Amino acid sequence: MDPSNGKVMTAKEAVSRFVHAGDALVIGNYTVGSCAELVYEVIRQRKKGLTLYSQSGIFDVEVLVGAGLVDKLVTTYVLRAGGRKGGSAVERALQAGTLQMEDYTNFDYNARMVAGMHGMTFIPVLEGVMATDLFRKRGFMGDDKFRVIDCPYTGKKILTVPAANPDVCIVHVQRADKFGNAQYWGALGSVAAAALASNRIIVSCEEIVEHDIIQSSPHLTIIPAYRVSAVVEVPWGAHPTEVLGYYNIDSAMYGLFMMADSTADGLKAWMDEWVFGCDNRAAYLERYIGKFGMKALDAIRAKPYYSAQANYGAAVTSRWDRDGREIFTGLTLPEMEAILKERGKFYE
Amino acid sequence: MSKPYTLQELLIISVAKEIHDYENVILGVGLPTTAGALAKALYAPHATLMMESGIIDFQPLVPLNHIADAHSCRGFSYATDLFSAFTMTYRGFVDVCFLGVGQIDKFGNLNTTCIGDYDKPAMRLPGSGGAADFISYAKRTVLTMLGGQFVEKLDYLTSPGYLDGGDSRDRSGLFPKGSGPSMLLTTQGIFRFDPVTKEIYLAQIHPKVKLDDVKKNVPWDLKIAGDLSETPHPTDAEIDFIRNFAPNMAIGRELMLELTVANLMKKMKK
Repeated sequence: MDPSNGKVMTAKEAVSRFVHAGDALVIGNYTVGSCAELVYEVIRQRKKGLTLYSQSGIFDVEVLVGAGLVDKLVTTYVLRAGGRKGGSAVERALQAGTLQMEDYTNFDYNARMVAGMHGMTFIPVLEGVMATDLFRKRGFMGDDKFRVIDCPYTGKKILTVPAANPDVCIVHVQRADKFGNAQYWGALGSVAAAALASNRIIVSCEEIVEHDIIQSSPHLTIIPAYRVSAVVEVPWGAHPTEVLGYYNIDSAMYGLFMMADSTADGLKAWMDEWVFGCDNRAAYLERYIGKFGMKALDAIRAKPYYSAQANYGAAVTSRWDRDGREIFTGLTLPEMEAILKERGKFYE
Repeated sequence: MSKPYTLQELLIISVAKEIHDYENVILGVGLPTTAGALAKALYAPHATLMMESGIIDFQPLVPLNHIADAHSCRGFSYATDLFSAFTMTYRGFVDVCFLGVGQIDKFGNLNTTCIGDYDKPAMRLPGSGGAADFISYAKRTVLTMLGGQFVEKLDYLTSPGYLDGGDSRDRSGLFPKGSGPSMLLTTQGIFRFDPVTKEIYLAQIHPKVKLDDVKKNVPWDLKIAGDLSETPHPTDAEIDFIRNFAPNMAIGRELMLELTVANLMKKMKK
């Protein structure tokens, strides 16, 4: 049997198998290193009727909403391209009445994922929000957006939010092994909670590494293998956003997107070129290099600044020393077996 | 016929067989960690071994001193915290866990807290540790009782087994359906639980043990499996693995101590 459980696959296969129309889909990344290729693949496969969760609605939410795939959006932040004169796909969908939305604070949104991750049905949050329209104005969640309870210990009014357990999380990380152990470092945001709260997890990574690498740096693992449904190796998989240790944000490319996003036609033309026009990330990179040159990519490639190594070593890795003697008794195995026999400890 | 073996080795091997490939396993210290290492080496190479301290997916190289023993392995896959180790069990991601037993009743309820009166105990045992939460939410729980006792009524109910028997555990609404203890290992045999009444019964008996000796230790009329068999003879591969990995477990605690002290004295004389 394939020891990886057959989890290593293309973005196309992963999205086709693990994202379904009508799913609650969470973008696991927060502000940086968005899982661009997985988002584009969801769009190419036209997975409709999504309830989309995103902590930091950036270009990723814009393209999914712009493609008409999102019925409901739960977020804390709406990207607006081009300032007052500009616009956004979310705004246009709200105006057209095709999108329902719930606004939360960053903390409330993250708390919902944390509750989901830990199997709680709700979680207390910071009560100041009760004075605001975040609390009063309810969208599709209605009464279940927030509920207030009495603290059983102090009698204080406690504001709560319900747990979120999205059907599927798409998330990009620096590296993973073929089993699915996913390592991510940098701005931790709510990435681990979003992934672990979800029922299925698709991990894309800059590179698939040997299991040894993971084993000698377990503090970097944010998602354990047994939770992961698919591992997709996609170099430059978060472009035009940034991945620490691999590349910076591509400000020029991001700028082009922002200009396009300010109108519906602009966004459509941009997506025709960069999402529908490229079958996969390799095709995307080819188009990018053809248009802007390799130099544009080289300019944002990260220079190394390695973290200090952590020593996971111990004094011994066997109960037997180099001479084949057990370290506490000083006996060889035959000597030990002779004693067991002599003492009548053996079952023949 | 394979080579001679010790009772300790037989016990470890019997427990190891409860771990299946691709399962997520919470190990307790002592016999279960050695069993886990054996299972991963011989029967279940893709099992994910975990400990409640947050050490996830490790392959022990030497026997563990406790449940936070990162010195027993060369790295591991995922470092999380104790809180998350329990909540992932709560969410159903743990297939099997292993617990030691002080007292056990007819329906697999456990006491690991005290013998005698709680406030003035004849013997104070460790308490719950992870036990009460793990047996609540792991899909299966394997119990090992090496120095404990069967009792009609526990002096203290630390960890919930099948409560009052029958469907009372499922009916309580507190636990995942179908969860609970799946087997008990003692130095005399292997016990399992009736699928309907949830009463414990003797399923296998170890070599050199007489049925009457088993019954003598149980204060009620112990049920015996119709197809009661003798615990099978270990294979050479199983015995070799344990002697190499955990010679201290193979020879037993008392003899180990004796031989270790003898070795120390010898060194001091030099």
